[in-house]
Amino acid sequence: MIRIIGILLVGAACAFIEIPALRGRKKELWVFSLLLAFGVASGIASALHVPLPNPLDWIAAVFRPFARGAGR
Amino acid sequence: MQTNGHISERQLMVLTFLYTIGTTVLIVPSGLAATARQDAWLGALAGIFFGGAILGLYVALWRVFPGLTLVGICEAALGRWLGGGVALLFVFGSFVGAATVLYYVGNFFNIHFIPHTPISFINALFAVVVVMGVRMGLESISRTAELMLPWFLILFVVLLATLTPEVKPHNLQPVLESGIGPVLWAGFSFAGTAYLPVVFLFSVLPRVRNPKKARKWFVSGAIIGGVCVFLVTLLCILILGPDITSRSMFPSYSLVKKINIGNFLQRIEAFMAGLWFVTTYIKTTFYFYGWVAGFSEILRLRRYQAVTLPFGLLLVVFSVIVYPDVAYMQNWDSTVFLPYILTIGFFIPLLLLGIGLLRRAGSKGSP
Repeated sequence: MIRIIGILLVGAACAFIEIPALRGRKKELWVFSLLLAFGVASGIASALHVPLPNPLDWIAAVFRPFARGAGR
Repeated sequence: MQTNGHISERQLMVLTFLYTIGTTVLIVPSGLAATARQDAWLGALAGIFFGGAILGLYVALWRVFPGLTLVGICEAALGRWLGGGVALLFVFGSFVGAATVLYYVGNFFNIHFIPHTPISFINALFAVVVVMGVRMGLESISRTAELMLPWFLILFVVLLATLTPEVKPHNLQPVLESGIGPVLWAGFSFAGTAYLPVVFLFSVLPRVRNPKKARKWFVSGAIIGGVCVFLVTLLCILILGPDITSRSMFPSYSLVKKINIGNFLQRIEAFMAGLWFVTTYIKTTFYFYGWVAGFSEILRLRRYQAVTLPFGLLLVVFSVIVYPDVAYMQNWDSTVFLPYILTIGFFIPLLLLGIGLLRRAGSKGSP
């Protein structure tokens, strides 16, 4: 619980810092809000040990066939 | 695009230098020693030569598309949509780079200095400084790099001077025991770790004040950085020997633990860790800068600062996800990393350069 509250507080701090500078800029404000929501959501997910997709697994899926083998 | 100042050619050299050393100096001696045994230092030398070729490619690309970031180059060469897709690949690449380097930082501190602190907190602390730097803009970061350089050089000279008495030359023998093959492979992995990530510095290059002069400084900064890593690798082999070097995760840190002058000057490794503070900070910062600036250029945002805070949050979250454990890290780094960075740092830039040259020839042919 404390972790979730902490992450929400960090998210709120980010919004508090950035939103005044973005007043009147609609596009930036939208991008910022969506990304912040995404960041807070993934932070909470990782705090609750929900398995998030690992980007390195995607890279590995593409490039594993070209790898030189783990044995070296 | 956003204006956040310009940097001088000397600042470009300093940050290329520190960026090349980056995390490379912490991890690469181990991989080199695993591939080429006592010839790891020759591998590092070969890597510097490959690096020269790679830097030549980047300089050529810079010359063909002056004043453009990587995103701009992709869009100029391939059009808005296809180019945007390729540019997204680079943005993704710098995101992965930032997250993995941050994991390295956290892991290093966790193992050697603060073992009871959760790694996500170490990463968050480091990321706060990185995000702060990037929000202040390119000019501030490059001045910081310039200010950090003397500290780095002092510590590096101390490292060389205090370790030279410990050298055991017989560790280098026999030279070229298993032929030239492993040396070349080690050279590839050296160039892959040290020089191919320089492609992400293309987000900085258009901000250089005097591009014509700066090319020389850019290349020499990267080459001197490579030479520093080569010297550390050489010392690792000379002092620790190939076995310990290949087995330890941070061989250059094991190396500075060996510093002992007359049983009096010893255990100064925590000071020496300042070297890696500086270089990993610069490396994380420019990966992060490439990610943030590239992303906002694709979306045509006026200020990239708008996305720094949410991306900082994502950076910390993903820095503990990218490598679930050290075994995964070593397996991924030694197998997948090289073909991946070759594609993103060599083949795609080569393709972009080819297209750029064809376009230029085409526009000259039909005036």
